[in-house]
Amino acid sequence: MADKNIRTVTDVICPFCGTLCDDLEIDIDIKEQKVIEVRNGCQIGTRKFFSSNPSEHRYNKPLIKDNGAYKEVSWDEAIDKSADILVKAKRPLLYGFSSTECEAQGQAVELAELLGGVLDNTASVCHGPSLLAIQDVGAPTSTLGEYKNRADLVVFWGSNPVHAHPRHLGRYSDFIRGYFRKDGTNDRFIVVVDPRNTNTAQLADMHIQINPNEDYELLNAIRAILRGVELDIDEISGVPKNKIIELVNALKSCNFGVIFFGMGLTQTLSHHRNIDAAICLTRELNDHTKFLLTPMRGHYNVAGANQVFTWQTGYSYSIDFSKGYPRYNPGEFSSVDLLMKDEMDACLIVASDPASNFPAAAVKNMFKHPLITIEPHHTPTSVNSDIILPPAIAGIECEGTAYRMDSVPLRLRKVKEAPGKCLTDKEILERLVEAVRSKKGE
Amino acid sequence: MSINNLILITCRTINQGVALEGGKNTKENVRAAGICAFDKEDFKKLDCLVGTPVKVITDHGEVVVYSTISEEGPHPGIIFIPMGPWANQVVNPDSQACGTPTYKGMKARVEAIPSGKVLDAVNLIKLLREA
Repeated sequence: MADKNIRTVTDVICPFCGTLCDDLEIDIDIKEQKVIEVRNGCQIGTRKFFSSNPSEHRYNKPLIKDNGAYKEVSWDEAIDKSADILVKAKRPLLYGFSSTECEAQGQAVELAELLGGVLDNTASVCHGPSLLAIQDVGAPTSTLGEYKNRADLVVFWGSNPVHAHPRHLGRYSDFIRGYFRKDGTNDRFIVVVDPRNTNTAQLADMHIQINPNEDYELLNAIRAILRGVELDIDEISGVPKNKIIELVNALKSCNFGVIFFGMGLTQTLSHHRNIDAAICLTRELNDHTKFLLTPMRGHYNVAGANQVFTWQTGYSYSIDFSKGYPRYNPGEFSSVDLLMKDEMDACLIVASDPASNFPAAAVKNMFKHPLITIEPHHTPTSVNSDIILPPAIAGIECEGTAYRMDSVPLRLRKVKEAPGKCLTDKEILERLVEAVRSKKGE
Repeated sequence: MSINNLILITCRTINQGVALEGGKNTKENVRAAGICAFDKEDFKKLDCLVGTPVKVITDHGEVVVYSTISEEGPHPGIIFIPMGPWANQVVNPDSQACGTPTYKGMKARVEAIPSGKVLDAVNLIKLLREA
């Protein structure tokens, strides 16, 4: 007999990575409003649901730093102080947004425009180069369902889904049976290009062990061989010529191929030029067979942040409103570059932890100025903040929209109430917009 | 003992992913991300036990982390620190004008420091605030 104290929520979207698995089942203790069981999730997604329960790592009231110690304050006071800091700043930076829902991201755009600040999301430090390359040369892409049903050759280039997107292989790209791939993994040829023999490479049919930082050379060598050029050297990027020719033959002879690429291409030397070359290779492979590519997006709604920022401002990240209209220039308005040059004087961080994720020199400069975080958990960023605004966790404690890595929008579900006095990210940003408007006399 | 001419790569790991969900300031995160994984043969050159603290030095900084042998080897000449505050003390902040720092592929040197102290995330980041 079902326990009356437990409510089971089915078809829950996992708000962890860009795979946005949509089949989780969560058991909630109705009285305590606690997650007590998570089914179907990966290790990380499961942990994320459990971490929403009240704990010593979770904030549930707004806090303001006073003489080195945090004191609990009312939402009115916290919002007023935050708005004060943001209005007084000449060049505030609003950063994060990839682990929250699209409606909150929309409010952030309004706030950044009102403040004349800089607006950036975490694509800036992960798939920003992919966005730059796609703007340059377009991208032949598709949805994950098509890959599941059709792909018989899957390349993971600079990405390790066993660790970073744990259910991707099982749901879309390897083990899963598809409409035209009845025998699942046996109907697919998996290629991994990576300098290490990663756990994904250990599952693959072919591992191309490439030298670090030499992806651009290998991509273009493959393009050359594809055009019939005879290479006059024995090895490129640490890969023997024969192995490259073997790879090209595999790429050409499949029925439906896909390249999934990750940080191994975007965070190494050449950055967006690597992605340019990968996209051009994919385009050229379509002279021989059907080939597509898709970036392996990390945070569950970083693709949504790019979508929302693009339809509201015209640009997907690194947006400056200081002239009253949006301007876009990664390298100048991107968060790390801005911080390295110490060109900002206050930060609002939403659903992100730049103190952990930015290079040390950038973090040093971030700490020189007032710091406000909208963050549910204790993180190296939040514990160094002047004001901490505790939100309900999107996708667990409030609804919203998120975009999967293939840009399919999915509706996040609310499975439980947030602890204490937490508001949603959207409500907090709405209140900040209202307070900033009133302080500016608008 | 020390090893020169290594290449440092930073990447995601599932343990680091689990630790960052609600436990960034915990010892679990130190065990997950405050580590440097070596190729098995490279590690022998350090002449120390697995788990001995090592100092990783690049042109961009240095950090003390626990040593471990990579389960994703062999990868001679390559060392690996999971993404996180420890790795970010030594990565190249230069984005080459595209916004994204060069988190992978730095030249690195490693020294075994048996008496070295591996700081937790909060204390490591606190040093940046005090600097």
